[in-house]
Amino acid sequence: MHWWFPGDGNAYSTLGGKIDDLFYLILVIVSVTFVGTSAALGYALWRGAAIKADEKVWFSHGSHSLEVIWTIVPSAVLLFIALYQLDVWAEYRMKGFAKEKDGSPKIITVVAEVTARQFEWRIRYPANGKPLKPTPQPDDIYSVNELHVPTGGLVSITLRTDDVQHAFFVPMLRVKQDAVPGKMIPVWFDATMPGNYEMLCAELCGWGHYKMKAMLVAQSADDFEAWKDKASAEQFDDGYRKPAE
Amino acid sequence: MFRENFPISMPRFTRTGFNVLVTFGLAVINSGCGEAPQAKFKYRPTTEDLIPEANKAVVKTLTEDFGTPEKLVAWERFPVDYGGVKGTVAANDGPAGAFSVTLDGDAGKIAKGASLLWVTGSQAGGKSAEATVKSFNAVTKTLQLASASTAPVAGDRFIVAFGEDMQLGRVVYMKNCMHCHGVTGDGDGPTGKFLNPRPRDYRNGKFKFTSTQSQEKATRDDLHRIVQYGIPGTYMPSFLLLGKRETTAVVEYVRWLAIRGEFEKRFVEELTNDYSESVIVDSIKKAQASYEEKKRNKEEAEKPLSESKAKKEAAAAFKKYVDDKELDGAIEETANLLAAAWTQSETPEVSVVPTSQRVEDTPESRERGRLLYMSNTTKCYTCHGPTGRGDGAATEDFWDKPGTSVKFEKRGLHDEWGNPLKPRNLTLGQYRGGRRPLDLFRRIRAGIKGTPMPAFGETVLKDPQVWDVVNYVMSLPYQQKQPTAVKHPAEVVAKNEEKPAN
Repeated sequence: MHWWFPGDGNAYSTLGGKIDDLFYLILVIVSVTFVGTSAALGYALWRGAAIKADEKVWFSHGSHSLEVIWTIVPSAVLLFIALYQLDVWAEYRMKGFAKEKDGSPKIITVVAEVTARQFEWRIRYPANGKPLKPTPQPDDIYSVNELHVPTGGLVSITLRTDDVQHAFFVPMLRVKQDAVPGKMIPVWFDATMPGNYEMLCAELCGWGHYKMKAMLVAQSADDFEAWKDKASAEQFDDGYRKPAE
Repeated sequence: MFRENFPISMPRFTRTGFNVLVTFGLAVINSGCGEAPQAKFKYRPTTEDLIPEANKAVVKTLTEDFGTPEKLVAWERFPVDYGGVKGTVAANDGPAGAFSVTLDGDAGKIAKGASLLWVTGSQAGGKSAEATVKSFNAVTKTLQLASASTAPVAGDRFIVAFGEDMQLGRVVYMKNCMHCHGVTGDGDGPTGKFLNPRPRDYRNGKFKFTSTQSQEKATRDDLHRIVQYGIPGTYMPSFLLLGKRETTAVVEYVRWLAIRGEFEKRFVEELTNDYSESVIVDSIKKAQASYEEKKRNKEEAEKPLSESKAKKEAAAAFKKYVDDKELDGAIEETANLLAAAWTQSETPEVSVVPTSQRVEDTPESRERGRLLYMSNTTKCYTCHGPTGRGDGAATEDFWDKPGTSVKFEKRGLHDEWGNPLKPRNLTLGQYRGGRRPLDLFRRIRAGIKGTPMPAFGETVLKDPQVWDVVNYVMSLPYQQKQPTAVKHPAEVVAKNEEKPAN
């Protein structure tokens, strides 16, 4: 029953499952409403056609009780959805800022600064064992169109854009966030399984929008550190090779 | 491509439905827009300017030897890998038209109906009609041809599906590159004119960021790197996820376009002086002016030819040029030159490799680098500015167009393609040709091709000195404050001379 979801249909983040549940809940509500209203409409048509010429019709227009019913019922449904999803929304956009229940600060690893530009993703990581600074540092590691993150915990990226609006979208993790010029937006998510996930731009950003596909590589913390070491060694390569003796 | 990483696991029926929808949608769209315009190679203005006879000869050569975008022609003289599965006949022991083979590449790729071309042996050189593969058994490595012609001998070389990489490269190019770089590779695609910096025009055969010496062509690896990682600070994006085969193919196609473009450029340069319409018109104008001048002075003078007569004479001269096989000679010479240049760029001898390790990045090394940067041996500051912001005095001057005494209309430096060019602002930490110390070393040692950035040879800067400059340049983006006030260059030179860097 997952075939309309991207990839193999599973969400590969903790929050992703909850977002899928919300999707199904709304799907059920909408289906019941659609089937119910269609049935009511069908009944009304059938009933109206069956009225005899000399029979008196009933005008529902202006019926106070009907108006009240179809105002209250959808409002209640909407209110229910609004309240029910609050927790997921808070977890997606707010709880990262809050403290843990015991008062300790949340542990979110800030992995990288992701800068979208027409039409690619440029990514800056701090060196191993260092925190990400808002400005570039001499030992930062750079990659393009390939975002590496460690699995097994919340990670966060700082999302920026060099030019127009873009949107950071990882369908299989159910993460989507607009990148707005002049803003540095923290986006947090986790990847439950190591693997390669499609990373796209989800905001029409120009004629080359389709070129902005990239890859999110989720790997274990050890692999992530090893990758960073390797990338750093490549980036600071001076090209000198000892001649063979 | 993505499919490899993300297998699509939709049930069969949904996909079919989707395909039907897409097909229907495309049908609707297509009926609205009519047929797509045919892709065509454009010719240079100098080609169009030739007298009709010469122009026809150039167009004929280019069409016969390089083809059109729809129908490519592989000129095997050039070091371009056109693609295909190469192999050798191991033994010819089967029934007629069947023989066992050893393949160089991936055996799974030989499809039924693929064409087979003999490279060596009695049937090579077009002596036999083109053979077609009837079947290929990947297990026994037996190749069955559709028609049994002269039996091949063990050791004969052949290529199956010759040119398939080139065709793939063309498809990838048309999808991803043509939009800016144009069908011909002239940097004049539909979006090209709106970009700054302008997309590269390959037809000079020059690429800016390479690993080779200043006079050499780019290597395949250089182009591969650019396609993979893009050029930060320009509109060239990264195509990291294109797939290895696609990237290799598109690099070959771009090399081929560069060769085609430079062939046209050099070939036409041979003809321009004698057979170009504008040159003929100009010379007549000059002759006419001097004739009138002389007449005014009552000197004896010969009336110059009329324009149509001059053109007729040029046409006759061109016919002689063709009859004397000089045209063929020019083609030969140009092709030889290009083939040699593109072969040489791949050899390790022309690659720029430092002979010493990077000097340790200490404040002392940076200071030595700074003094070199401000010295009159390198004159870095004249373009990149005393603080490295790319605002040196050279950006304020009006410069001559190369080879002429006419000035550019705009202030500042220009590249070989005639586009305004700003010296790089070194404080941004943005490195177009790559941010490895090796990349910066190569930029200084071999310069940037087609731009005023010169190559600093061994006589000007020794390797450790280049590393000092690299260390200084790499420290520029992270300087909090200038340690001392910027000194007047003369003062710095004096200081540099009293304290030699080595």
